[in-house]
Amino acid sequence: MIAVLGLVVGVVVGLVVRPVVPTGVEPYLPIAVVAALDAVFGGLRAMLDGIFDDKVFVVSFLSNVVVAALIVFLGDKLGVGAQLSTGVVVVLGIRIFSNAAAIRRHVFRA
Amino acid sequence: MSSGRDDGMSDEREEPENTAPGSTDGATPGSTDGTTPHEHRAHEHAAPPVTGRQRLVAGLWPPRLSRAQLTVAVLLFVLGLGLAIQVSSTSDSGGALRGARKEDLVRILTELDNRTQRLEDEKRGLESQRSELETSSNQAAEALKQTQAKAQQLGVLAGTVAAQGPGITLTITDPKGGVEADSLLDTLQELRAAGAEAIQINDVRVVADTYFTEGADGVLIDGHKVAQPYEFKVIGNPQDLEPALNIPGGVVQTLEKEQATADVVRSQKIVVSALRPSKQPDYARSSSQ
Repeated sequence: MIAVLGLVVGVVVGLVVRPVVPTGVEPYLPIAVVAALDAVFGGLRAMLDGIFDDKVFVVSFLSNVVVAALIVFLGDKLGVGAQLSTGVVVVLGIRIFSNAAAIRRHVFRA
Repeated sequence: MSSGRDDGMSDEREEPENTAPGSTDGATPGSTDGTTPHEHRAHEHAAPPVTGRQRLVAGLWPPRLSRAQLTVAVLLFVLGLGLAIQVSSTSDSGGALRGARKEDLVRILTELDNRTQRLEDEKRGLESQRSELETSSNQAAEALKQTQAKAQQLGVLAGTVAAQGPGITLTITDPKGGVEADSLLDTLQELRAAGAEAIQINDVRVVADTYFTEGADGVLIDGHKVAQPYEFKVIGNPQDLEPALNIPGGVVQTLEKEQATADVVRSQKIVVSALRPSKQPDYARSSSQ
């Protein structure tokens, strides 16, 4: 419950405060958000499976974000940033879908 | 998936990577420090197995202030923050370029440069066209002005417009009737030779094809009966016109021999107001243009 509250508070704060993102970080924010979403879905599935562990969740969340941003950064340096970020989004999207399917089976038994 | 599968998964919880490799980031395969799974497992062995739905409900309500909940709350707060920032910056009207990548920005900039170039070219072309039109219309206006001035000059010569200027007035009084058409013609030729530019006799404008004829009771000019006294209104240089008439053996002396009197009066403003209709030639056409 507190976790859900944290998400809601984060969205509200982001919309109300409208912090200025440094231009250096700007291109990585969308990818980082998608990576974090993937980690959150994975954690939700683990919780439904009964194998959730907060330490693993923290590590996977942070490493997901860092690796996604790193890939995009590297892609930018190599000149294939657009293609690589597309690839990252595709892979993360597939993972999110498979996790969502597992969650669905738990919640709706279908 | 049936609930039997859930039981199977619960049994296989020791190796969750077998069922879903790489997709359970929050899972703790073989976790040693995660206390919750051990508790759950002990609980499940004793009681009927807990389904995922029950776990979800138990996690949501009642709210518990545990370390795991707080950690996840902090991370989800960060996620929500990033989500909101990204969404708001993307939905900004001017933010279309904010999230754009460097090469996209370069491409957009190049396109804008090309567009600017095209528009500049177009502007330059239109400007030169405009100056061309201005020049040509200036030329046309100038030509029109010159043509109008020319038309005025020709109109004075042709007698279709009124004229005014310095000149003389010659009045010939002939009570005896001795002045005939040839005397008037001589007078007219003398005036023309002296540089007369516009001449009117009584109310008849004198032009190139003016002719004098003898009528039954007097002189006809261009077929019009002209009563005495004959009054010549002449525009020209008075210093030339008056001596030309008064030279010995000239017009005035000749007329006096005919028992007529001729008065010459200089004036700075003579108005020749008698007009002739302009005639359109039937056959002759301008050869210019």
